[in-house]
Amino acid sequence: MSKNQASAAGSFRDKLKNLTDTNLLLAITIIVFFLMYLGAVIFQGGGFLKPQAFFNILSANAALVILSCGLSLVMITGGIDISVGGVTALISMCCAVYLDFHGGNVMTSAVIALAIGLGFGLFQGFLVAYLDIQPFIVTLAGMFFARGLTTIVNTKPFNVANEAFTKLKMTRVTVPFMGSVNKRGIYVDAYVEIGVAVAVLVVILMFCFLRWTKLGRSFYAVGGNAQSALMLGINVKRTRFISHVLCGLLAGIGGFVYFLHVGSGSASHAAGAEMDAIASSIIGGTMLTGGVGNIAGTFFGVLSLGTIQNIVSSAGLDQAWWSGITRAVMLCLFLVIQSVVMARKKKA
Amino acid sequence: MIKKYVMIFIVVLAVSAGAGWVFFGCAFEEEISHDPAPCEEEDYIVIGLSQIGSESDWRNANTESFKSVFTAGNGYYLLYEDAQQKQENQLKAVRDFILQEVDYIILDPIVETGWDTVLMEAADAGIPVILVDRQILLENDELYTCWVGSNFREEGRAAGRWLEDYLKLQSRENKEIRIVTLQGTPESSAQIGRTSGFADVLSEHDNWNMLDKRNGEFTQAKGQEVMRDFLKLYEDIDVVVSENDNMTFGAIEAIEAAGKTCGPGGDMIILSFDAVRAAIQFMQAGKINAVFECNPLLGPKVAEIIERLEAGEQVEKIQYIEETYFDTSMDLEKILKERVY
Amino acid sequence: MKKENSIFMKIVRNQCFIPLMALLLLVVFNLIADPGFFKITLADNSAGNPILSGFLITILDSGSELAILAIGMTLVTAASGGQDISVGAAVAIAGSVLLRVLCGTNSRPETLQAPIIAAFLVSCVAAMLFGAFNGVLVAYFKIQPMIATLILYTAGRSIAAWINNNELPVISEPSFKYFGEFIPGIPIPTPFFIAVACMIVTALALKFTNLRLYTQAVGINQSSSRLNGLNPAVIKVMSFVILGVCVAVVALIKVSRIATINYSVIAKDIEMDAILAVALGGNALSGGRFNMAASIIGAYVIQFLTTTLYKFKVQSDALPAYKAVVVIVLVVVSAPVVREWFAGFSKKFMKREAA
Repeated sequence: MSKNQASAAGSFRDKLKNLTDTNLLLAITIIVFFLMYLGAVIFQGGGFLKPQAFFNILSANAALVILSCGLSLVMITGGIDISVGGVTALISMCCAVYLDFHGGNVMTSAVIALAIGLGFGLFQGFLVAYLDIQPFIVTLAGMFFARGLTTIVNTKPFNVANEAFTKLKMTRVTVPFMGSVNKRGIYVDAYVEIGVAVAVLVVILMFCFLRWTKLGRSFYAVGGNAQSALMLGINVKRTRFISHVLCGLLAGIGGFVYFLHVGSGSASHAAGAEMDAIASSIIGGTMLTGGVGNIAGTFFGVLSLGTIQNIVSSAGLDQAWWSGITRAVMLCLFLVIQSVVMARKKKA
Repeated sequence: MIKKYVMIFIVVLAVSAGAGWVFFGCAFEEEISHDPAPCEEEDYIVIGLSQIGSESDWRNANTESFKSVFTAGNGYYLLYEDAQQKQENQLKAVRDFILQEVDYIILDPIVETGWDTVLMEAADAGIPVILVDRQILLENDELYTCWVGSNFREEGRAAGRWLEDYLKLQSRENKEIRIVTLQGTPESSAQIGRTSGFADVLSEHDNWNMLDKRNGEFTQAKGQEVMRDFLKLYEDIDVVVSENDNMTFGAIEAIEAAGKTCGPGGDMIILSFDAVRAAIQFMQAGKINAVFECNPLLGPKVAEIIERLEAGEQVEKIQYIEETYFDTSMDLEKILKERVY
Repeated sequence: MKKENSIFMKIVRNQCFIPLMALLLLVVFNLIADPGFFKITLADNSAGNPILSGFLITILDSGSELAILAIGMTLVTAASGGQDISVGAAVAIAGSVLLRVLCGTNSRPETLQAPIIAAFLVSCVAAMLFGAFNGVLVAYFKIQPMIATLILYTAGRSIAAWINNNELPVISEPSFKYFGEFIPGIPIPTPFFIAVACMIVTALALKFTNLRLYTQAVGINQSSSRLNGLNPAVIKVMSFVILGVCVAVVALIKVSRIATINYSVIAKDIEMDAILAVALGGNALSGGRFNMAASIIGAYVIQFLTTTLYKFKVQSDALPAYKAVVVIVLVVVSAPVVREWFAGFSKKFMKREAA
């Protein structure tokens, strides 16, 4: 009995150390984000000063926020899931086909989205957790499968014409007190797309899950050191399985939010989204090796990437290639910071 | 512990400094000189141009035409956004322009639907929208000021009629003619127009057999791939209709790699659209039969429209740009000298 | 009886067995579905030179690019235990440098601005530099290879477009096309010869230098290899640099094929195929021992699969789905848990037979 308590206390101290590093990385992320946004406002002025610019970034990246949360969950347990982009594209195509070609209703299409995401999560989770196959190759196959299936479902991209859906797509959630005066002198309320509300809800739920539930904390334990987690009595296989299932479920939700945002089905949707999600998680302080991670950080990571894109396009630079370069530079620097932190921790 | 924080702080400072230097440095290097906070400059007319991408020579010539007309010297300030072939990027670009309170928005819509909301936002903000090149399906015509571009359907029909005449010359007008089409980006007005225009003439001829139509995405690489597939799947192709020049270049590669020939005197007749320089040069080399012009130089016409709008005039809703065609019977050397793109 | 068993076991346990089995399956499948698949014709191409054509030739042609990349990818996987997902973007960069040197600033030059060999060497150096960049991130900053190469994956094609100022240079010099297509008079496509040359060089390097020993040692156990006097960081960087050379060769072939470049399309998703080839060759994705021949066979098998699907008019966008099924089946069958289950099952079966 006392041995367990002692080891529990010891691992708690480890967790504390990890948590401190997590907080440190989170602090860096937030500071950099605010510096960048400030820089954008000072440099560009005009449009960026309006709160609507910030809300536009949120609206454009709501789906990415949800996908990144899922990816952070898996990364914290020490795994990876690169199929989320393909799953998103598949969901958008399937729902689009369902709505337009089979005259379905919006509720059922949401259920379809969740089912697809969950299906991928279950299958991949089983292969990774119980058959002990490397997550990279399993989810790589998942990505291939999803992308290929998208084209098989329907070859041509198209915009959804279903009325109920377009109504939902155009629904705006007004943010009070943040509006601005437009060119004509008319006061326009600030708004976000409906997907943002879903994204914020997901972030809050996942944050609480990771911090205050036993299962959530076991994610950190499994990712930090699977052997000691096993000795603590945690069912490592089941934890890994659940992390993939959750990631799949979030991919389902994120996929539907993405579908709401773009309103069309296309095989080239969400191209590279998984890499964006990974980059966001890393910028937010999640370590690929596992055991360290923070949903709040991931949220700011997504915002940082979105802000970069805005800065690049407002600066009149050719967004096409500058965006890629600046994001890569950010990722590179954050990786270096992470490895420095890890190295210092090992020495200590 | 302190050392760690100091080190991190230095790295963060370096990041911000580096990023700032990159942006300031590059912004000043840009050919279009940008001043910060453009909206404070009252003298300039601020234009927001949302372009589809840079997937072909035609597109690049189109962009260049705008950039060369809307310069600071002419009293304009141009905000240019390349959407990299994605509609959501164009929607975002238009929204950014609205936020930045530009004077005019020029939009080349990548697909035909999905623009209602964003055009309404522009209308609410009092910003006139000029559509160029591709067309939109809209319920409310009032949402845009005017459209400037090519009559794609007419281009397709011109190709069909040219083929009719050519076959008569060759005394093949009653034989079975096997045709394949390399199509452009699906659902784009260029693709829809050219395919349906050609189909108008096709339907008049029972002996014209359209074997297959596939998406070549308007790019050379994909055009080559699709032509390779066609050559493997179908024997004795008589006519290749390629909906833009870049795909035609790829198709010619594939045809020659398979040991066949094209152009006047070759195994296959090739009809191409756009008429960029390189295509005319290929015609000189005897590899293309005819090209149907799609004039990308819309800049001057749009600038003229904006001047008239500034003067408070009304403009026609639909404005076609002048276009023609070229084939091997013409003086190509002379034509090449006169072409700007 | 026992001798037969052991030879059979030897064949089955050999790492090349898996890709060869897959190849056999594909061959049999095609024989049943349409023997015409294997037809090879000798005809004259437009320039009047005799060339071979047919589906098998296509496999040799396109598969060679993959095989060359698989060589580099195998070394990287073995030494660093991870995968390099930036090879597609790196091919774009190398191709862009190649075109830049050959075309100068004019995007449609009449003559080449430099000899092709010089341009190739410059693009090789560029690719090696980017490879070293990845290698340093992995070896000295201890970042996982997949994440470290994510950087180049994100930025690579942008860098490639920037090198040529976002223009699409086109080369009209006919001798440039020899690398990607045919040398006049030789009916077999050139990429195949280039791949064979690379294979010979690799085989010689593996046999006569310590490359295999060091790479495997570092991959199997990094700390004990350091104790044995190796510098794991240097070896890891070297594996990425070798991959850079492979990338430059593939870039030459690809650019030569179409005599131009398309930054977002060239070598798209080739990294996934390369990783698949390594995995199909039975190599552990977590590093350690490797079998180069198995990877190369794996590369051609993947190309065989791709071409087979092409023939059945599967759209090129839908191909990945079929590849995914193959990967899953492969990976599940070779999972240790599944193998144990099979072994237990067959033991029970044998017991029942004996009884």
